[in-house]
Amino acid sequence: MLHDILWTANFDLARSCLAHPFVQALGSGTLKAALFRAFIAQDAFFLHAFLKAYALALARSDDVETLTSFYELIKGVLEELKLHRAYAAELGTDLESVIPNPACRAYTDFLLRTAWHTSLGETVAAMTPCIRLYAYLGRELALQCSPHHPYRRWIEAYSGEEFERLAGRLEALLDRVGADTREVRDSYRYALQCELDFFSGALCS
Amino acid sequence: MVWHLKLCQLPRRHLAALSTPMRGRDQHRYNTRRKVQRPFSMGTDDHALVRNAGPLWGAATRSPFLDALAAGDLPADALRRWLAQDYLFAKNLMAFQALLLAKAPRDCHKPLIEGLSALDREMAWFEAHAVRRQMDLAIPLHSIGRSYTDFLMRCAYTQPSPVLLTILFGVEAAYLAAWSALAPSGPYAEFIERWSSADFAAYVAALGGLAERHPHEAAQEYFNEVLVHEREFWKMSWEG
Repeated sequence: MLHDILWTANFDLARSCLAHPFVQALGSGTLKAALFRAFIAQDAFFLHAFLKAYALALARSDDVETLTSFYELIKGVLEELKLHRAYAAELGTDLESVIPNPACRAYTDFLLRTAWHTSLGETVAAMTPCIRLYAYLGRELALQCSPHHPYRRWIEAYSGEEFERLAGRLEALLDRVGADTREVRDSYRYALQCELDFFSGALCS
Repeated sequence: MVWHLKLCQLPRRHLAALSTPMRGRDQHRYNTRRKVQRPFSMGTDDHALVRNAGPLWGAATRSPFLDALAAGDLPADALRRWLAQDYLFAKNLMAFQALLLAKAPRDCHKPLIEGLSALDREMAWFEAHAVRRQMDLAIPLHSIGRSYTDFLMRCAYTQPSPVLLTILFGVEAAYLAAWSALAPSGPYAEFIERWSSADFAAYVAALGGLAERHPHEAAQEYFNEVLVHEREFWKMSWEG
């Protein structure tokens, strides 16, 4: 399956994300609250672009099954944003006036350019790494997550069954609408590189 | 802004490369690496968008890459990197300009259409140049160039034509200023002369006029964002 091929071929970047100091600090609970707050804000900005990319992909779909999948995935992002809003309310952050840092901006520009300008397969290939990576990170970080972990809700959200189900749904779409082309491979890998850069950007906040 | 539509056959950053070199110019007048004045900027420096960009303008139009090129000691790999990456940038700019044309009002059509036509010739020029230098142009965009072109394409689809005109003016005006600041001497004199030509300056002036005629409240914000990308692109050309 294409999604397996791409995940395996790019697992080096997924591992780098897991080993990233930001992710490690998040996992151990030592991440400073100010950095986490800034990360949530940047991630909310990113998720708005992600929503738009799903909507553009939905509009480009022909069959009901694909349309329904994107509809479900959009609902998944809206649920994810609820988590961000809850954190924002607790931490006193306004998610409506976020100024994206360069890494966040590069990632969202890439996503939107891909969704507007390229094929459905490339678009799904650009979006799958995010959701699969977070399911992977959530699962790995859950292994060391204690009941009193300061970021337990975040880790539980991404290590949960519902998020894994969404990841599987998007990967099934990738298998159906994507092809093993240079463009699709490039889209997938660049998205993972953007994820890694996103964590670096979050450390510089 | 004064219009020079008849000269607008050589738009876009490199389109001046297709124009006739300024053979009549006295080379000995240019005995320093950087000119004191910029005779071919034709008022670009006075444009409100440029004035209000502050220090970003200088950062986007000066680079160790350009200094080394003017001094004649540019490493060969840096030149090749810049040529290939700029070609890939131009390919993307073609799509940007086509989308801008589709959105632009009637009074913008002539310069934009001529710009596209000239960009096509420029692509051919680049490809021929790559063959001569045995360069492979089928390489990936550097992440810096990718961010720049992703920005252009995202805007092309989501922003109105006044913003896109401002962006195109920013791309071209910064490029003209960067090259016009160099003394056309040394092994790359031909490059410098061509990319600071009066024809190219006339095209930039025309774009500046269009940007003035079609203002937008977010124009400065986007103009400044172009300058940040230009700065990073020169940095990448120099450092890899």
